[in-house]
Formats: sequence, C-alpha cells, structure tokens
Amino acid sequence: MATFLLILHGICALLLIGAVSHQALGVFWPRRPGQTDFVANARGIRPQIYVVPIMILFVTTFVLGAAIYPVYRVYVRPPLEDLRVLYGIGLFEIKENFAAIVLASLPAYWYFWKRTSDYPTTRAALTAIVFVTVWYNFIAGHILNNLRGFG
Amino acid sequence: MNNSVIARAFPAFAIGFALFYAPAYSFTGGNSTFSWPLFTYFPSVGDYGEFHWLLVPGSDTLGPPMWWYGWIASATLVGLAFAIIAMLLPSKAVERILATLVWIVPILAFAFLANWERAWFNI
Repeated sequence: MATFLLILHGICALLLIGAVSHQALGVFWPRRPGQTDFVANARGIRPQIYVVPIMILFVTTFVLGAAIYPVYRVYVRPPLEDLRVLYGIGLFEIKENFAAIVLASLPAYWYFWKRTSDYPTTRAALTAIVFVTVWYNFIAGHILNNLRGFG
Repeated sequence: MNNSVIARAFPAFAIGFALFYAPAYSFTGGNSTFSWPLFTYFPSVGDYGEFHWLLVPGSDTLGPPMWWYGWIASATLVGLAFAIIAMLLPSKAVERILATLVWIVPILAFAFLANWERAWFNI
C-alpha cells in the first residue's frame, strides 16, 4: 500500500511540476508577439488558469506525502542514520519544512492571483516560492528514493 | 468573506504559520522545555500508531517520535490567531504591509531553516 501511495505521490508531483513550470514561465518569461516555436508555446499561457490546478495538486501531493511519512520515519530514516547518510535525511527535512510553509501560503497565493489585480510583485514572488519549493521537493524526493526506497 | 477581509486574513495566516513553524522545527528536541508541537505521533506503536498530546520524546517502548504533524497543527493555530488579529486591524495600510510580508517571511523562514539544517550536510 505504501509503495502504491508513493507512486501516486510521485505522479501527482510530476503533474504539479508541469503546472508550476508553465505558470512560472508565463510570469517570468512570457512569449513575445511573433514567437511560435515549441518553447515559446510553453511560455505563451495565461498564468492565472494554473492557480486552482496547482493548489489541488499541491494539496493532494502533500496529503499523500503526509500519509506515507510514517513509513519513511520507521523504515527509511533509521538505516540512513545507521549508514551515516545524513545528507539524505537533511534533504528530506528541508523538503518537509518547505512543503508545510508553502501549504500555509496557498490561500494567500489564491487571493493574490484570483481576487486582486494589485500587488504584482507579491504575485510573482509567491509564484517563485511555489516553483522553487515544488522543484526542490521533487528532486529531493527522487534522490531520497534512490538512496533507500520503501521496497 | 469580502475581499478586504481575505486580503488581510490569508496573508496573515501564512505569516503567522511560518513565524511559528521555523522556530518550532529548529528548537524542538526530546528535552525541550516548551512543547512546540501540539501533539506527538508514534508510528511504530500498534497497527495505526499512537498520538500523545504535546511534546513526548521517543523511547524504547514508543519508538521514534514524529513531531511534524504536531508542528503543523500548532502553526495552524498561530496562523489563525494572526488572521483574526489582522481582520480587526484597519484595512488599507495593513493590507499593503501584509502583501509584502507574505512573501518575505516565508523566504526568511526558508533561510532560517536551511541554515539550521546545514548540520546534516557537514557545512
């Protein structure tokens, strides 16, 4: 069951990576008129349409991660401690902390994207925070799974 | 809720949460005098684990403690308190300040936590 949830967690994270990357490209590197190549098309999106999917995917990924966290604590972390692979534990600690703080920022993220056109700097900064956190957590999760998965 | 209320409550919640969470993670230990987590979860006890109120250190009988859920619960309460206080304050000026703090405080919390976690990487 834990392995199934872990795979589901990874799939949701993958979808989330796509959504946050599109949104960040749309905010920080928007397509200019006349650009029609593949990368320009990835950038030529309306960032606000990604807000709700990002929130749903983030919460789903977070809940799945929280559900399998006890398995990590009992079966994964102790061997890493025994083997002194402490950087793996550090990567995970950063991941859990960033995820929790971003989770609490999601209502504000929604407000600044959906309910007001003021504060463009805040909107961009929150987008960058979500983008960096999701990418970091995705990579850290993969590294940790490679170090010692559930199986 | 109208826009003016949300404009203060949601950012204030995020700020309060981050302001509590970062020190909660950093200063929680088995011997902490202050209980940062609202509860402790012991995943190795029984089939579904066991919850204990406040901070409880790990032991041979209870196994390793998990405080993460408890930190989130405590930080949520602090965030809600911040949100309620923000709703009582005058709207426009507070709204502007919160719109800035809502992204500065999480970045500072990340920096604080990352600095605290350098020990795992021997740096």
